[in-house]
Amino acid sequence: MRRLLAAIPVLIVASFLSYALVALSGDPLEPLKLRNPPAPQRTIDLETERLGLDDNIVVRYGHWLGGVLHGDFGESVQSTYDIGANLTRATTVTLRLVVVAILLALVLAVLTGVVGAVRQYSKSDYALTFTGFVFLAMPLFWVAIVLKDLAVRYNKATGTTVFFTIGETSQGYSGMSPGAKLADVAGHLVLPTLALALITYAAWSRYQRSAVLEVLNSDYVRLARAKGLPWRKVLTRHVLRTALIPLVTVTALDVAGILGGAVITETVFNWNGLGRMLLTGVARADTDAVASWLLLAGLVVIVCNLIADALYAVLDPRIRHE
Amino acid sequence: MTALLQVEDLTVEFPTEDGVLPAVRGVSYEVGRGESVGIVGESGSGKSVTSLAVMGLLPRNARVSGSVRLLGEELLGRTDAELSKIRGRTVAMIFQDPLTSLNPVHTVGAQIAEAVLAHRDVPRQVAMRRATELLEIVGIPFPALRAKNYPHELSGGMRQRIVIAIAMANDPELIIADEPTTALDVTVQAQVLEALEAARRETGASLVLITHDLGVIAGHTDRVNVMYAGKLVETGTVDGIFYRPRMPYTLGLLSSLPRIDESGRQRLTPITGSPPSLLTLPAGCPFVPRCPRAESICSTTEPPLLPAGPGHFAACHFHDSVTSFPAPETPASVAPRPSDPILSVRGLVKHFPVRSRGVLRRRIGDVHAVCDVSFDILTHETLGLVGESGCGKTTTGRVLLNLEPATAGSVHFQRRDLVPLSRARMRPLRKDLQIVFQDPYASLDPRMTVNEIIAEPLRIHGRYGSDGRAQVRSLLKTVGLDVEHGNRYAHEFSGGQRQRIGIARALALRPRVLVLDEPVSALDVSIQAGVVNLLEDLQDELGLSYLFISHDLSVVRHIADRVAVMYLGRIVETAPVDELFLRAAHPYTQALISAIPVPDPHKERARERIILTGDVPSPVAPPSGCRFRTRCPKFPTLTDKEQRLCISDVPALVDHGEGHRTACHYAEALTLI
Repeated sequence: MRRLLAAIPVLIVASFLSYALVALSGDPLEPLKLRNPPAPQRTIDLETERLGLDDNIVVRYGHWLGGVLHGDFGESVQSTYDIGANLTRATTVTLRLVVVAILLALVLAVLTGVVGAVRQYSKSDYALTFTGFVFLAMPLFWVAIVLKDLAVRYNKATGTTVFFTIGETSQGYSGMSPGAKLADVAGHLVLPTLALALITYAAWSRYQRSAVLEVLNSDYVRLARAKGLPWRKVLTRHVLRTALIPLVTVTALDVAGILGGAVITETVFNWNGLGRMLLTGVARADTDAVASWLLLAGLVVIVCNLIADALYAVLDPRIRHE
Repeated sequence: MTALLQVEDLTVEFPTEDGVLPAVRGVSYEVGRGESVGIVGESGSGKSVTSLAVMGLLPRNARVSGSVRLLGEELLGRTDAELSKIRGRTVAMIFQDPLTSLNPVHTVGAQIAEAVLAHRDVPRQVAMRRATELLEIVGIPFPALRAKNYPHELSGGMRQRIVIAIAMANDPELIIADEPTTALDVTVQAQVLEALEAARRETGASLVLITHDLGVIAGHTDRVNVMYAGKLVETGTVDGIFYRPRMPYTLGLLSSLPRIDESGRQRLTPITGSPPSLLTLPAGCPFVPRCPRAESICSTTEPPLLPAGPGHFAACHFHDSVTSFPAPETPASVAPRPSDPILSVRGLVKHFPVRSRGVLRRRIGDVHAVCDVSFDILTHETLGLVGESGCGKTTTGRVLLNLEPATAGSVHFQRRDLVPLSRARMRPLRKDLQIVFQDPYASLDPRMTVNEIIAEPLRIHGRYGSDGRAQVRSLLKTVGLDVEHGNRYAHEFSGGQRQRIGIARALALRPRVLVLDEPVSALDVSIQAGVVNLLEDLQDELGLSYLFISHDLSVVRHIADRVAVMYLGRIVETAPVDELFLRAAHPYTQALISAIPVPDPHKERARERIILTGDVPSPVAPPSGCRFRTRCPKFPTLTDKEQRLCISDVPALVDHGEGHRTACHYAEALTLI
């Protein structure tokens, strides 16, 4: 709770800075002004009025923030564009990718980390370490492009559409039955999720491996073995739970980075999600849209950190009692 | 009668990057039913590895050969699954560090119950009930409540008793205790040893007690195995080992020990050098480089265990003629010491704020680390400052040197009060007031050579002139280090040598007062004696005054002229050293002295013990009146009216003559040694 309160001023300062940056970065009416034949002065005045461009930045920011608190995300440069509705739609699309990718990366990281630590210096450890470092070294956009390219070749070679490589849903999605919708969404998720998860899991797997190693060498694992507990039980009861604690921290810290990764992945796979929304917003110098976007991203990061805090308390009684 | 445990020709090797490390080299011993066997040795002697091999708990890369038979059945070569049926049921183990031995995420009750459930098919509630019973046996108050606690909520002594409860959960035949009290304070050590004895009474188990503390061995074992460089070098009954040792190493260990039951004017007998590296063992007896008796045969043939009396074996070619370890010459007694105070401490107070966790971090209380402490350090004397961990002795030393600002009080040195001095004004005085830290590993910069480390204070004070190098060389010589080694880095030296480097650094500026903060407690006994002797020599040669801070009363008895005993931030008793040890009048001092084991089996077993209950209260909210009253053995024997005085009034230090001052309303001298 204390953390939540502390996060509010941070969020306000951050959103003001980003608001000011976008507002000062360009004139949203430039396309209108440079139009040939020139737009009538009256149109430009009306737009200036609608977007509140005559006010100073602090007033504009205050106006926007007041709106946000009432569920109104402000006026877009394009008058037909509803920021709130678009934000909701894009968020559901992107969070799908982010959440599934995080879950997949966590499962991969825990599995490979535990195996690598328990079988330290074995062939499987070396193989996992090597794979991990390969993904650690590769840039996300490249992995995404390679995956996409491989999938396209496979589709062409077999003449089927096993892998969906473009968009978050197929055309004609709205007319599908609920079951078909689900299958379609899942099918489109496969490749982007895989790309994002592979890049993400690699670092986490290293953390997990060293955390498990540390616990394996701890005195309390030795005592658990001295009690006569079978190895499997030592692993599940004494090793896994304590070794998950550091991973929670790392995951929470990495959420912002994964959000950024999702923007890249979406661009590669032509998704119409938060990534495209941000890029178009920036290109149009659409202050209210970009600021709303960043506010939301900040909220997501804070919520994830709160979830991590709650998980700590579940995993570690030392924190619970403080 | 077959022995319970028979270890024969046990060898353990670890492959390392520098070659094969033979940690245990052909060790054979037996443990009979109901017997208690001690294994003594310094760090790296292989005593822990031996017992881990018995349990099958060595790291996977260890190569083990020989034979370990439990109740006649061979254990080596069994699978981990088979061994896990024996571990905890027939053989149980207790480890050194109670702070890390318990899993932080499970309650202690669950961790005891788990040991029960590992070997018995009983419902969980039955196991939990058993856990509560066990907690009661090891002397934990409110066992049902404590069972629901997590380890971090309990003190170190309590946690070690929980580990003992786990060990006795399945009525084992054998308990292996690996340095069970090394990490604990003496009064807590006494409690834990008591719990261990209770566990043995309850289960009738045999005990293998591994420790470097000869006093603990003297009081708690029937037979003793002495290990050196991975081998048994002497084995015999506890009386045989202590009264008729036949191996020069054992002799050396016994005579290097400062003893609480001996007055300190005699020199300790250090064993020169340090234990050999197991990677490059010489051909003959590994003790040769340190042995005063070594002859040519010793460097060519490693002696086996040879019979040296009934049930007594010693690995020495000259076991029948070795009877004493040559003692160093005691220097001619020094001129009577002058008695002007060089440093006067009055009413020293140090509080550390405790802050709330909120955004505002309000001050919600104070840790009363040092509370109204007054004492003098006289020229050319050693004042011993003793007490258990957390009593404020280290803080006192730091505040004294103005390394931490005092909350109140004064520290007078050369007619100036140090307390109000700023860092800059303090600097010229620092050359007279130096400190040697406890941890010889952490207190030396690993990126500096020894020459640079020792030269640093000289440079800071602008004294590293053209003769700088010569000064550093002479300092190295003074502390007994090879001058040629000055270009090496700290990690190339052993613990004892590093502590000598720390002392050389402190001496560089020719200080007049040296604060020695637990300078020998990280060292093995044979090394410790050399450093203690060095400190005594330096004091005589250079006329230094020491504040010797230590939890080890035996060392203090040896080195100090006067002693101040601290409890929870206050000095409770101060007296000349012999007076304090022979006629302690404060119940806390009495308990401390009685808790220290004496390395003499007959004496040790005949002694009466005062065992304190409970743990040191929190210094955030110390008890009113006398801070010791919550654990005082005398308090419950007082009448209500007398008790009220303890609760309401802080006892002042009252002089009983000859500088013996005691802060107890009902002080009464007692002889405990």
